[in-house]
Amino acid sequence: MKVFGPWLLALIAGLPMVWALWAAASQALDVQAWQALWADPQTLRAWGLGVWTGLASTVLVWLTVARLLANGFIRRQLARYLVHVPALLATPHVAMAIGLVLWLSPSGWVLRLVSPGWTGFDAPPPWLTTQDPWGLGLILALWLKEVPFLVWVAATQMQREDLRRRWQAEHALAQTLGRTPRQAFAQVIWPQLAPRLQWPLLAVLAYGLTVVDMALIIGPATPPTLAVLAWQWLGDADAALQAQGVAAAGLLTLSVALLAAGAVVVLQAGVVLRKVASRGLSLHMTQAPGVVGWGERSRLQANVMGGVIVMAYLAVWWALGVGSVLGVWPFPQVWPTLWTRDAWVQVLGSASTVWTTLGLAVASASVCLLWSVAWFEVASGRWQRALRPVWLLPLVLPSVLWVVGLYGLALQWHLEGQWPGLLLAHALMVLPYVLLALEPAYRAVDPRQAAVVHSLGHGRWTYWWRIKWPLLRRAITSAWAVGFAVSVAQYLPTLYVGAGRYATVTTEAVTHASGGQRSLMSAYAALQMLLPMLAFVGAGWLGRPRQFEKIAPMKDTP
Amino acid sequence: MSFDFPITRRQTLGALAAATAWTAQAASPWQDTERAARGQTVYFNAWAGSERINAYLQWAAAELQRDFGIQLQHVKISDAADVVKRVRAEKQAGRQGREGTVDLVWINGENFAAMKRDGLLSEPFARNLPNFQWVDTEGKPTTLVDFSVPTDGLESPWGMAQLTFFADGQRLPKPPQNMAELLALARAQPGRITYPRPPNFHGTTFIKQALIEYAPDVKALAQPVTPAALEAQAAPLWRFLDALHPHLWRGGKQFPQNSAAVRQMMADGELLMALTFNPNEAANEIAAKRLPVTVQSWQFAKGTVANTHFVAIPYNAPSKAAAQVVANFLLSPAAQARKADIDVWGDPTVLDVARLPVAERARFSLAPRAGQLAKSAPALPEPHASWVDALEKEWVRRYGV
Repeated sequence: MKVFGPWLLALIAGLPMVWALWAAASQALDVQAWQALWADPQTLRAWGLGVWTGLASTVLVWLTVARLLANGFIRRQLARYLVHVPALLATPHVAMAIGLVLWLSPSGWVLRLVSPGWTGFDAPPPWLTTQDPWGLGLILALWLKEVPFLVWVAATQMQREDLRRRWQAEHALAQTLGRTPRQAFAQVIWPQLAPRLQWPLLAVLAYGLTVVDMALIIGPATPPTLAVLAWQWLGDADAALQAQGVAAAGLLTLSVALLAAGAVVVLQAGVVLRKVASRGLSLHMTQAPGVVGWGERSRLQANVMGGVIVMAYLAVWWALGVGSVLGVWPFPQVWPTLWTRDAWVQVLGSASTVWTTLGLAVASASVCLLWSVAWFEVASGRWQRALRPVWLLPLVLPSVLWVVGLYGLALQWHLEGQWPGLLLAHALMVLPYVLLALEPAYRAVDPRQAAVVHSLGHGRWTYWWRIKWPLLRRAITSAWAVGFAVSVAQYLPTLYVGAGRYATVTTEAVTHASGGQRSLMSAYAALQMLLPMLAFVGAGWLGRPRQFEKIAPMKDTP
Repeated sequence: MSFDFPITRRQTLGALAAATAWTAQAASPWQDTERAARGQTVYFNAWAGSERINAYLQWAAAELQRDFGIQLQHVKISDAADVVKRVRAEKQAGRQGREGTVDLVWINGENFAAMKRDGLLSEPFARNLPNFQWVDTEGKPTTLVDFSVPTDGLESPWGMAQLTFFADGQRLPKPPQNMAELLALARAQPGRITYPRPPNFHGTTFIKQALIEYAPDVKALAQPVTPAALEAQAAPLWRFLDALHPHLWRGGKQFPQNSAAVRQMMADGELLMALTFNPNEAANEIAAKRLPVTVQSWQFAKGTVANTHFVAIPYNAPSKAAAQVVANFLLSPAAQARKADIDVWGDPTVLDVARLPVAERARFSLAPRAGQLAKSAPALPEPHASWVDALEKEWVRRYGV
């Protein structure tokens, strides 16, 4: 098992992944398509817009997360973050974009609330508040959606029992040397934490650069970002334009790779700086890159930013709820003149859609969880380090490229339009998230426990079932919930690999967005949000800590 | 709605002759087809952005199950080009006959042209369908010629479409009757008019309407496009758009994604007017409480672009017999009348209603509804399918960057 297991597991996950990549790459190497891409007048500006929105949102997310984490760490609120952030995580990107548009567009809630009283408008003004040509709306939406993701990943790291204790001790030590709590965090904790967030940060960057569904709803339109163009070209009936779409997906991949390399260099530079500093230079020079101004003022900023994010989510949920019953809603009236229940009647009538969604999400999350647990148990550290980048590839490669590869794979394996093919496609997209969610907890396991159990004469299975897995219960259940949420939100793989035969709440939401029926779109977006939320609530309940009342000294107070 | 087309003696004779010929030659093959179709499942790939269309197809599925033992599965798609792409990928992967995933597809225009050109369609079938005899091929020539590409029986007509505008009569009492009046309106009320961004097909249709109105020689548009023809015929179009764009929504620098977005902004009061391909869309939306009852529909006085939408069978459809039975059912007077009913869908029929037996004709006489087109204008034929791509590319080069 020790020898054979890793090979088998690597083959199970690696073969389809590499095959899909190969299928995509072989299509992307079409010289004519690249020439056509180069000659297209939209390419350059669309690429620039994509890079701009991706980079700007990533930098903003990074700065925000640094401040929020500093606050959370110093005020010992990280555990609370872990309880509340999943509700924000469960809000799908599409739902967020739809909700924001309902508020911000020239005919949205914001202007209706102050019109015509304060503004004098009796028709929506010609303002560029959504789909603005600079991509600001898209950047805002990405920021709102990615901050909770990164905070959650970081908080799972910082709540690792071993790290938490060590870092609290180091933080206290730095304060005894005269640092303020904030300086201590910036100089001691942050430099250790930042490198651990490399992969999730790359995922944020890649997502911002290559997102399609959100950009369609709230992103710039003339021209759109390159990812949207690639998606439009891929869907064209003309084979040459399709090839151009694949080339555009290839260009996006290259861009992500280059920017990622740049980001890694910047992060590593921070580590090097710190090493130099520890050889005697003043600690004041060791601020991590991008984290300037750690003054006390940043505490206020963190509170404001946290508040803004929570308020925005509440506003979006509200807008989706009301949006799903909107009938006729002429500007500047705050409330619609006609309400309609039709959307919910129809949603309730499409029970098979919900069952397909649930079935796929449960199956792919469970398959990935089983695989991940097996992988962490049987693969040695060397195996894990070597193959980690491969498993995380779906996170950082553009979804438009993946869908080309996955569809090629499904065709070659005769799995298109069938349940196993769809499950495989979902599982590949879900796997990196489950791994990321599970990894910190596995790293934190104290190997001495195993030794103690074995010395008491028990085997491996006893150790797993009675000691280790129960201890990891929270991580395991929340990893499953994350996988569930990722599966629910899949659009492109479901559409292509399922040959359109399997409708999920997400494909319905996007299809209805193309038909522009606001109430139905909002209702499906609300449902798309509700399902993962239930999964997170269920996971939270299953993963609640075991109660040992007699031995409970592990309070946060040092 | 009513479709009163004068029946000529020649038409009646022609129809009779066709019907007799069909009875003589094809009666028994059609019974064979129906027999073979029993028990088969038809995966019908059809755009599903409207719950009315989905509900209509659910009704059709129940009828087909009861009368023919066929299971009709609506595969919901957001763009027919996805299906073209999928069938092409299946062909490239070496899928043979009956190994495909699509039995029937809702299609027209450049998607049909692409499938026909690339040999992605099954053998001709439309003229063998018993109900094809009622199709108004004379009064509605687009039932045989799809965007100037002959259908050759590779697709069977399903419904009619014609560019139609709608607006709230209280805000726009005197709707424009041609592109020149539209320009004057945009000048008078800047920022309140727009059209979807090509290559969205409603946006492209708006461009084609302007092209037809301004082209020096309309006949040239029925031929495949050449660079010279594009330059000669489209020059006045670009001059018109250059004049129009500064007065459009967001200064003509930004365009909405699709006609649904335009409709939504019209309903909210951000825009003055919206456009559609379904003459009954406004009536539909009023019935669904998404538009106020004061909305009215109209077409330009001298006519607007019109076309037909079809169903086609891919080369590798697993259930070809059942797909033909479904296509025939969709052409039946009962199914066509139900489809034309505004409470159901409101999609105009392809049949020659005047030629139908009296009992069948009665199905089509329905009371007029709020928002419905008061007077239909002449149908202008679509330019040849190859113009679509050329116009879109040139539009993007000029205005899309």
